Amino acid sequence: MNVNVLQKKLHKHFGESVSVRIENRCIIVSGHLDSWDKIVAACSMCVNKKPGMHVVNDIRLDGVTIPEMRIPDVKDDSLDKKKPDVLIIGGGISGASIARELSKWKLDILLVDKEADLAVQASGRNDGEVHPGVDLNRGSLKQHYVLKGNRMFGRVCKELSVPFDRCGQYVGFTGKWMYPLIWAYVWQRRHICKVKDTRILKRDELFRREPNLNPEFQFAIFNPSAGCVCPYGLTIAYGENAVENGAKVSLNTAVLGMEVKNAKIRSVTTNRGTVYPKIVINAAGVFAEDVAKMAGDRFYSIHPRKGTNSILDKKSGSLVKGIASIKTLNQNTKHTKGGGILHTVHDNLLVGPNAVETYEKENFATEQGSIDAVFEKQKLTAGALSKRDIITYFTGVRPATFEEDFVIEKGRRTKNLIHCAGIQSPGLTTAPAVALDIEKMVVKELSKSRKVERNRDFQPVRKAAPVLNRLSDEERNRLIQENPNYGEIVCRCEEISKGEILDALKSPIPVPTIDGIKKRVRPGMGRCQGGFCMPLVTKIISEYEQIPEEKVRKAGAGSEILLRETKPGKGEAVS
Amino acid sequence: MKTYDVIVIGGGPAGLAAAVSADKKGASVFLIEREARLGGILKQCIHDGFGLIRFGEKLSGPEYVERFIKEFREREIDHSLLTFVTEMKRTDGGFVLKAVNRRGVQEYCAKALVLATGCRERTAKQVQIHGTRPAGIMTAGTAQHFVNLQGKMPAGKCVILGSGDIGLIMARRLTLEGAEVLGVYEVKPTPSGLTRNIVQCLDDYGIPLHLSHTVTRVFGEQRLTAVEVAEVDSNMKPVEATKKRVACDSLILSVGLIPENEMAEKLGVRLDARTKGPVCDNRFMTETEGVFSCGNALHVNDLVDYVSESGELAGAAAAEFTRRGADTVTKQGKNSRAVSVELKPDTSLQYLVPQKLTLSDELKQVVFYFRSREVLSAGTLVFLLNGKEIFHKKYRNLKPPEMERLELDLSTFKIEKDSRIEIAIRKEGDI
Repeated sequence: MNVNVLQKKLHKHFGESVSVRIENRCIIVSGHLDSWDKIVAACSMCVNKKPGMHVVNDIRLDGVTIPEMRIPDVKDDSLDKKKPDVLIIGGGISGASIARELSKWKLDILLVDKEADLAVQASGRNDGEVHPGVDLNRGSLKQHYVLKGNRMFGRVCKELSVPFDRCGQYVGFTGKWMYPLIWAYVWQRRHICKVKDTRILKRDELFRREPNLNPEFQFAIFNPSAGCVCPYGLTIAYGENAVENGAKVSLNTAVLGMEVKNAKIRSVTTNRGTVYPKIVINAAGVFAEDVAKMAGDRFYSIHPRKGTNSILDKKSGSLVKGIASIKTLNQNTKHTKGGGILHTVHDNLLVGPNAVETYEKENFATEQGSIDAVFEKQKLTAGALSKRDIITYFTGVRPATFEEDFVIEKGRRTKNLIHCAGIQSPGLTTAPAVALDIEKMVVKELSKSRKVERNRDFQPVRKAAPVLNRLSDEERNRLIQENPNYGEIVCRCEEISKGEILDALKSPIPVPTIDGIKKRVRPGMGRCQGGFCMPLVTKIISEYEQIPEEKVRKAGAGSEILLRETKPGKGEAVS
Repeated sequence: MKTYDVIVIGGGPAGLAAAVSADKKGASVFLIEREARLGGILKQCIHDGFGLIRFGEKLSGPEYVERFIKEFREREIDHSLLTFVTEMKRTDGGFVLKAVNRRGVQEYCAKALVLATGCRERTAKQVQIHGTRPAGIMTAGTAQHFVNLQGKMPAGKCVILGSGDIGLIMARRLTLEGAEVLGVYEVKPTPSGLTRNIVQCLDDYGIPLHLSHTVTRVFGEQRLTAVEVAEVDSNMKPVEATKKRVACDSLILSVGLIPENEMAEKLGVRLDARTKGPVCDNRFMTETEGVFSCGNALHVNDLVDYVSESGELAGAAAAEFTRRGADTVTKQGKNSRAVSVELKPDTSLQYLVPQKLTLSDELKQVVFYFRSREVLSAGTLVFLLNGKEIFHKKYRNLKPPEMERLELDLSTFKIEKDSRIEIAIRKEGDI
């Protein structure tokens, strides 16, 4: 690669304020620009296809201070002087799945996440699609892992007792003339990219399967291997199974710094003490670059890209049974399929996401414009789609590298570090397969200094609490006889009993907050959005945890739902 | 499996009235309530003003509903509390219901159902509020539950969006409990709640009402720190230049109520897009034979007195249906469908309930509920039969938030199966 050619190109498009150099397989772009989009464009322009080459962004954004990572308020020494074999930084799908696979070994595993729960960032804010991998080209890590990961989903979800539906994906085309083109594309995907089951559906069959799609669709690409899963449900299940098998999870724990000596991480400072891990896994999502920098091993950059999804009332669930989207030629297919409509495992529809570059890694604010744009497009997929059915919406931020591929490798300079970075879509699909490879890397690395033994007590099947409304009447009745709390419905929209909420409070990684309970057993996920059940859930948490209701939080510290008691009445004691 | 003539779902004011009146008509009645206590939302409505029409006195919500609970108890009507209906199915002779409670999975059978399931509140996301997701945002009903039933304060310095009645009531309630209510913002140019509530809950406490204003955005990571408010144009779109931040720790929403009819929809009951409740006839029977609807599940009422009335009418009609239904079965082998005529309100009405008339000898006194679409200082409600006026009534001060009730004897009009019945409100001077 000729750095001078690149430099000229950059100057032509962005002026003299940016420059590029190549060092140690890194393409370092530096200087300053006046907009984030320009920075992303400049860095993207420098991407080189050669494996292992990464763009590192050192361009400053004029007049803007990039927000610092938000740190939890908690400060204690609960982790101080701990010496785990493995420290996993990040409790998203990557970190949680790695923890679980590593728990097959007799290792002291510690997973830390700065948030109050697992799956709070990208892993809890995506559409839950299990991708078929049809849109990925050969040669990328994404493509390698997506095919492996997809095939593993049935087994993994069964073991972890997580609902998974291989509902199939349909990509519709309105122009008949595109048929030969798409036929060739599908042939190539089947035979070269090894997405063996992708095929073209003729109109008739498409509408037999999905009768409510755009009647102008002439044909569709059909991917029977595509499916959907609850992304935070899977992450929490992985985490719980890891804990059941001996791993430790410390939430509200942020990594603040590292001591690196002789190309090794000696210690890691957190807000809960300093730990001395033998090996560190960087699964820090949008902050993976920051963690890499702390470890003296920054050789890639993350450019956050946010996307918004809307969730629709279950009443509209019958509109699409699988995953559907439209493909037109004029759309920007560079970074995302441009969203779609997905029938979730809980029978809602999920519409989105869009894709917007941002320098704010933790700005999860939603905008009406994003939703409007997504709906405008997805109404072309299914005309009856209506914004009126929206019950909620959320924004997630994808941790993309400029190569738009994963970084899964040992540290380049720092020896006891493994990167699992740039895990954007289809990172949920790839997680089971990536975790197995990282498990191998860790065991190999640790085996250099000592014998790593199998954990003979490893139990791959998670002890999941029952979901009452999915049981037969007989089974449900039996459980209620054993525990009457299963017969007391607290959340009317999702039909969740008090017993299930108590189960969540007793689970291996209990998060006794409104959001923690909501993510585990779904009260508040329905059409009333907790209007009816939130006071009841608050009360159940307060009783179980033996804390006043005023201490019950929505999520992290400072998010208490209630401020104080009402004024005492006449004759009541003022306490 | 227990079999009843009438099963009432919901033990709020509508359900209680329905159960009592069906029982009075001699039907065997069973009432299912999902909460631990009877009374529905009135349990938390500790303010006064209930029962003026019915009892001629100002009662609090619990006092009002206690009168119905007392009668319900005296009549020893069979019921089950803390019981949640999970499934409803039609069978040849009626309906089979599945429910769960602390004793297990239950099954009940009924010839007729009265759905008195009330309504729910529209949420922040349903009115397109964007930004972060901090604590401190809740509907007025949820806030009312916390304050009045749990004795806890969810708000310190708060903004109220929407001038629905619960929002106004909560503005006063929170003020009395020591919160600072910065203002009530209403997107429409006119208030959504009753005039008496504007006066008694806002004016009396000096709480400003900002009409044609809305909340466009919320701020804060853990707890709400501020909201963005803006004036809206005539299309209700926020005007960019008027956007400003208001620092607060709570946003209370009173932006509309939605009748709860998810159960009804599962039975195939057709809903009216205007009321969001079932399309029903003069007996409050839905288009699904044997399924009756009343109270706020049928349409959102302004006063509980009317909720009770519709419950009574629906309960009595359900009891009557089970008696007659049996008669027709023996005579003709199966229920013969009665002929009904659709009522056609024009756009001057927000809605009219009932939406249909079933033609029979019983078609005499019919109670109608309607709301005007516009604020009118004077207007005339007109019934036209095949283009000819058969009835009119003059009204003063018609307002969309204030529901009107009208009782009409239809037996003197010759209504036939192909009759065209149109209803309109004429502005003064139109006639």
